[in-house]
Parts: sequence; structure tokens; C-alpha cells
Amino acid sequence: MKTVMIKTHEAWLEMLMAGFMSKSKNKQILFDFSDILFRHFTWLENELIDIGESYSYDRDAIPIKVERLSDLLHAIVVRLNEIDLQLLSSPDKELAGRITSDIHYMTEVLSHMNDEIITAFNMERKFPGIALTQEATDALTLFLFEETYKEYELILIYNYLKAHSTDAYMNRIFQILIDESFFHLKRFGDMGAKMGILAVPRVVMKELYQVEDVVAFLKDGIDEELAAKEECKKLSEAVGKDSQELARFFDFINHQENYHIALMKDALKHFTGKVHD
Amino acid sequence: MSMDAQLIEHMMNPKNYGILDDFDAQGIGKNPDNGEKVAISIKVGKDEDAPYIDDIRFQAIGCTTTVVAGSVLTEEAKGLHFKGVGDLVEATLNFLDKLPSEEAACSEMVALAIRAAIDTYQERLVDKDYPVITYKVTHSCVPKEEEK
Repeated sequence: MKTVMIKTHEAWLEMLMAGFMSKSKNKQILFDFSDILFRHFTWLENELIDIGESYSYDRDAIPIKVERLSDLLHAIVVRLNEIDLQLLSSPDKELAGRITSDIHYMTEVLSHMNDEIITAFNMERKFPGIALTQEATDALTLFLFEETYKEYELILIYNYLKAHSTDAYMNRIFQILIDESFFHLKRFGDMGAKMGILAVPRVVMKELYQVEDVVAFLKDGIDEELAAKEECKKLSEAVGKDSQELARFFDFINHQENYHIALMKDALKHFTGKVHD
Repeated sequence: MSMDAQLIEHMMNPKNYGILDDFDAQGIGKNPDNGEKVAISIKVGKDEDAPYIDDIRFQAIGCTTTVVAGSVLTEEAKGLHFKGVGDLVEATLNFLDKLPSEEAACSEMVALAIRAAIDTYQERLVDKDYPVITYKVTHSCVPKEEEK
């Protein structure tokens, strides 16, 4: 079951990357499938918690550098078929049956998708329709690498906290934060693909998501969100001279951080109140 | 950080990222100011009794600059005898004053983690239960104008 969870984690990311690469109507289908695989991942994680088996979010590197979408889709189908095979020995037959049913549908759809030429790795670092100065291009490049990793890291942290909590109030907050981070990850990943610098986020170290002190984590998290607002502001200023459209987008992301701060403050208040009760 | 194709390649596909399954020793470089750290794992080979780094991996809690430094330095360290690794670490540490402060702290963290892994390996030849060594950086990650 542990291996199935790791393989599903890898398949989720691989499918998400395929979504970033696509420029056609395939894109939304690939994003939807990646969301389904993420939910499989959480089902499998909960199963491991139920049976008391230890696990982590470690995984192998995922090669995604392809010239044609069909090459990556083929690799995803192979990975999904491996998961399908491994699910045969799963102790939870009902869960295995549900996941297998999804996998059979997804592999069928993937096998018939129209092919596309991939430009997500050409390293041109040109944003379509927008001419950025070298300084703004470098600032945007660094931001996208930093933030795509950060959003992936946050998804895993909130997901782990949620999986190990039975507090409905906290779990509502964690779920909203997961959804917010998914939105940001998808926007930044899309931008990375357009710039020709798409990359799989690196593996997150255990001590980041196996949070021992939730209060300290939330306090640090609020500080990090405030720092992220500053980064968005700086980037908006850097790209604003060349593109008001991009500047407005990063102002929007900056203001979105206010939701995260409010949610984390709310979580902190609830959690510390509960600890003191 | 000014960017060329080689640098972007390290950002997109960091070399040697992760942890070795069958490592001989680990070492940690840490920034006590902000909690950032680099963990190195090494597999040691023996060539006419002189030990060398047969394989190496790194993991980082840190920024993209740290990941790039980890990718570059581990790639350079791989295959070197311990003497060569020591020279590499020393050369990196001597170069830090020429870098912007935030880049200096990141490179120092990686170099110290490599040194810690070698030192842990040496200590474990004498005491197999010797704990993983952690070295702390001396450079600040915060640019000087922001410190004021």
C-alpha cells in the first residue's frame, strides 16, 4: 500500500506537469485527472494511517522532459498500469476497486489524446505577447522556481496536517489552504511552461510536513506569507514597466495572501484556545 | 543572481537531489538565523586505501540559490578523494566574501554540509554510533541594507 501511495504521488505530479505542457483542450482534462490522482493519494494515505503503517512523502525523481506530449502520456499510462497491478494485493478491496475504475477510464482517454509539440523546456524565457527586460525576466524566473516549489510544499504540509487531525474546524481551514495553494501552483506552473522553464518541484524534506509544533508552524507561516506579499510587490514593480497585465496579476496574488494570513490567524486562535481549554 | 543557460539547467534539474538509500555518512549545514539547512548523504569508495566520494546526494530546506549551490558543489565533489573534497570546501569558503550575502550563506551551508558528512564518516571509523555532525553558517542570509 505504501508503494502504491508513492507511485500515485508520482502519477499525480506527472499528470499535473502534462497539464502545464499542454496548450490545447487536453489541458483541462489533464488537470482534472491530476486532481483525481491527488484525491487517490489522500485516500491511500488515510488507509495507511488507519492500519497504523508509517509513511512519508518521499518519492523518486520524475523525468518529464519530452518533445511530444504523447511521450509523457505513454509514461503516465505505464505508471498507472503499475499502480493498477499493485492494487490487486491491496487489503482494502473497495478502495482498490474505486481507484482501479478511475485508472481504467483515464488510461483509455490518455491513449486517444491528440498529440502536441512541447515547448515547456526550451529555456527561451519569453512570456508570450510580453517583452520583458532582462532584469524583469530574471526576477520572474527566480520567483517561479521559488514559488512553484513553495506551493507544492504547502500542499503537502496542509495535507499531512489534515490527514492527522480530527478537528473539523482546523480541517476546514487546511482544506481551503490546500485549494488556494493548488490554484497558485497551477498558475505558476502554467507560467513556467510558457517561459520554457517547467520543472517538477523537488522532494519535500520530512521535517517540514511532519510538524511537531503546530503553533510555531502557524506563526512562522504568517511571517512567510507576509514575506511572500513583499516578493509579489517587488515582482509587480519589476515587471510593471513592461507589462501592466503581469503587474496586475502579481498584485492579485499579493492580495490573495491576505486570505492565507487570515486563515492562519484563525487557525492559530482556534488551536491555542483549544490547547488552553 | 544573473542567469545563464547552465544556471537555469541547475534550477530546472538539480543534480544529485535526494537521499542515498545506502549512505555511509550524513552531514548537515545549517543557518541558525532562519532554520534553513542542507543535508548531505555520501557513499564512500576506496581507491588504493584512499577514500573518495563514490556517490553523493543533498536535500535542502532553503531557497533556489541553495539548490543551485547544492547541485553544483555535489557534482564537483563526486569522485573526488577526501583531500580533493577538503580543497573544494576550502576554496568555496574562501570565495564567499566575493558573493552577495544571501548567496554566500547558501553556498557556505552546502560546503559545510559536505565537510560535516566527511567528518562524520571519519568519526564513525572510530565510533560507529557517532552522531551526524552539524556545522552552522557564519554568513547572514539577509542582505546588509535589509539588516539596518
